[in-house]
Amino acid sequence: MELQSKYKTLRDVPQIDYLAPGGSLCAGCGGLLAVRLFHKVLGKNVVWVNAAGCMTIMVNYPLVPLKSNWLYTAFASAPAGAQGIRDAFDILIRKGKIPESEDLKVVVLTGDGAAYDIGLQSTSGAIYRNLDFYYLCYDNQAYGNTGFQVSSATPVGSATATTPPVPSEPAGNIQKRKDLFEIWRAHNPPYIATLSSSYTVDFLRKVEKGSTFKGPKLYISLAGCPTGWGYDPRETIREEKLAVETGIWPLKEAVEGKVKHTVVPRALKPVEEYLATQSRYQHLFNPVRRKEVIRSIQEQVNLYWEEASKREDFEIKLVNT
Amino acid sequence: MPLITNYFLALTLDFYILTQPLIVIPDKFLMILMIVRVRFHGRGGQGAKTASRILGTASFVEGMNVQDSPVYGAERRGAPVTAFTRISDSEILERGYVFDPDLLIVMDATLLASPVAKVTDGIRKKGAIFLNAQSANIIGEHYTLPSDVRIASYDLTSSAMEMLGKPIISSASAAAAARLVGLVKESSLEQAIVTELEEIGLSEEMIKKNVMLGRKIFSSLEPLELATEESEKKLRIVPLEMITSNDGLEDIIAVGNSKVAKTGSWRIFKPVVDYEKCTACTVCYAYCPESALILRQDGKPEIDYDNCKGCLICYRECPPKAINIEREVIAF
Ligand code: SF4
Ligand code: SF4
Ligand code: SF4
Repeated sequence: MELQSKYKTLRDVPQIDYLAPGGSLCAGCGGLLAVRLFHKVLGKNVVWVNAAGCMTIMVNYPLVPLKSNWLYTAFASAPAGAQGIRDAFDILIRKGKIPESEDLKVVVLTGDGAAYDIGLQSTSGAIYRNLDFYYLCYDNQAYGNTGFQVSSATPVGSATATTPPVPSEPAGNIQKRKDLFEIWRAHNPPYIATLSSSYTVDFLRKVEKGSTFKGPKLYISLAGCPTGWGYDPRETIREEKLAVETGIWPLKEAVEGKVKHTVVPRALKPVEEYLATQSRYQHLFNPVRRKEVIRSIQEQVNLYWEEASKREDFEIKLVNT
Repeated sequence: MPLITNYFLALTLDFYILTQPLIVIPDKFLMILMIVRVRFHGRGGQGAKTASRILGTASFVEGMNVQDSPVYGAERRGAPVTAFTRISDSEILERGYVFDPDLLIVMDATLLASPVAKVTDGIRKKGAIFLNAQSANIIGEHYTLPSDVRIASYDLTSSAMEMLGKPIISSASAAAAARLVGLVKESSLEQAIVTELEEIGLSEEMIKKNVMLGRKIFSSLEPLELATEESEKKLRIVPLEMITSNDGLEDIIAVGNSKVAKTGSWRIFKPVVDYEKCTACTVCYAYCPESALILRQDGKPEIDYDNCKGCLICYRECPPKAINIEREVIAF
C-alpha cells in the first residue's frame, strides 16, 4: 500500500529551517536548496557527514549556518565516517549510556565528485554492509568547489575548466556520465531516488518515504549551479524544471530494487531548450550549430525514455530527431 | 558590532595573528627608495585580482619593479577580495599583505561597512582613497580619516555597464589606480590591459572595449603623486598576538551563528515584496536557498535583508509577480 504522504502541495513545505542564512555559497545555489529541503523532512536530529565539496564551504569556521550537527571527512571517506557514528550511537544506546531519544539520523552529504568518483568505493562498502544511513549527493555535474572541472557526472557536451571546447574536441566533454543510480541499485539497497528541488512535493515525499526503511537510503539531487553552468542565479528553479521536462533529469525511485518513474512528462521538450540557456553548452550553438552533438544528446534521452516506458508501461511522446 | 575579523588568518596561523608586515632586510641592502603600495578591495567577480595585475604589468612596462598578489577566503562570488600591488624603482624586499597602503582602491562602496574587509585599515599619512561611487562623501559616514588623506571618486560601475555591458571593473580600477599613482603612461596601461585580459581568455572585442574603458577612466582623473621616498627600516619584529576563540566571535558556539556574516551586502539587486499583490502562496519561501525569507502570521513573506544574497529566485518564481526588484545602492 502506498504511504499516505504529509506533503501534497508547496504549502506543506515545513516552515522550520535548520539552516541559518549567511553561509558562503554562491547566491542561487541549487545544492544548498536541496540540503535545506532535505533537512526540513528529516527534522533537527541529524548529523551530516560531509565529504569535501561545495557544501563544505557552507561551514566557514567559526560561522556555521547549521542548527544540527556536522562532521567533516576527507573526500573519499564520508560513508566510513557515517559508519563510525552509526555504530557509536547503536552501542551507546544498547548499553543504556544515552537514551534512544538522543539518537541522530546519519546523513552523508557529498557532491558528485565524491559520489561518482573519489568516494564511490567507500559508498559501495557502506551499502554492502547495509549501514542504516541516508546519502544525499547534490549533483552539479562537475567539481564546482575548485572551479568546475570535469567529473564522471559531467554530461556529454558540457564545457568544463578541464574539457573546454577546443579544435580537436569541439564538443567539450565527450565522456558519458556514469549511471550512479544503477550502480547503487546493483548493491540492492532498500531505497534509492533522484530528486530536484523544483519538483518540491516529489522531493519531500521521497525523503519521507525513504525514512520508513532501515538500511541505506540513497538520493541524487540535481543541483542547479549558476556559477558552473553559467546562467543567472535567479533561474535555478527554471533550469532544474527544464532538465526534468526535457527528460534529461528523470525523477524516479527504486524500492527494494524495483524502479518507478515518479514524474513522467507527457511529451518531452527538445533538449536544446535546456542546453541553450547555459554557457557550458554555448559552443554547441555558437559560432556554428553543432547539430550532430545536439542530436546525439537528444537520441540518448529518447532511448532512455523509450526503454523506461516499455518497462514500466507508460505513455510518453518523444522528440523527433 | 560582532568581532569576526581576522578569523581566517587566525585559522591559518594556528591562532596567532600577524598584526604587522614581516620585513627582514639585511644591512647591506639598506637604501633610500621610492615605493608605492596599493591595496584593492573588491568583491569576488568584480575583478580586483586582475586589476592588481594590470597595474603591476603597466608599471613593469615602465621599467619599475613590481609585485602583485590577491588574497581571498573560501567564499564564493560576492564575498570580499583583497589584492595588492607594490611598485618601486628598486628591488622590493617586502612580501605579503599590504598593511599600510599609500593608495586604497575601494571597488564596492558596500565594503565600507563590512567588518571583515576593514578597508581603511593602515592607510598612510598623505595617502589616498579612491572610491568607486559618484561621490566620496559616504566614506565620512563610516570612518574618521586623518585630514591629510586625499579622497577621489568615480562611478566605475556605471561606465563599465555602459561600455562593457557588465559590472566588471578590473581595467577601470587599474586605470584609476595607474592614473592616481602617476607613474604610468596611458600607452603602458593599454598594453597591460591587453596582456592581462588576453591571458584570462577574453575575446578580442571585449579586450578592445576594456581598453576604451581604461582610457576613459585614465583621462578623467588627475595624478596625486603618491610615491613616497623612504629609507627602509632595518628589521621589523613582528609581534604575534594570541587570540582565543572568544576574541574571534561573540557567539562561537551558538547554532546558526552565520547570520553575523551579513551576506546581504552581496546583493546587487534587492527583492521587494508588494504586499497588496501577494497571495500568500508560499512559493518564494519554498525556493529561497538561503532561508533568508520567513513567512509572517498571514502567510506572506518577510525578507531578511541583512542576509538575502539577492539571487532573485523569489522574484523569478512568484506566480502573481508580487515581488519587484530595485538596484541596491548602499546596502548598509
Ligand atoms: S559552484 Fe555551484 S554548487 Fe558550488 S556553491 Fe556555487 S552554485 Fe553551488
Ligand atoms: S533574492 Fe534569493 S536570497 Fe534573497 S530572499 Fe529572494 S530567494 Fe532568498
Ligand atoms: S511567491 Fe509571491 S505571492 Fe507567493 S507568497 Fe511569495 S510574494 Fe506572495
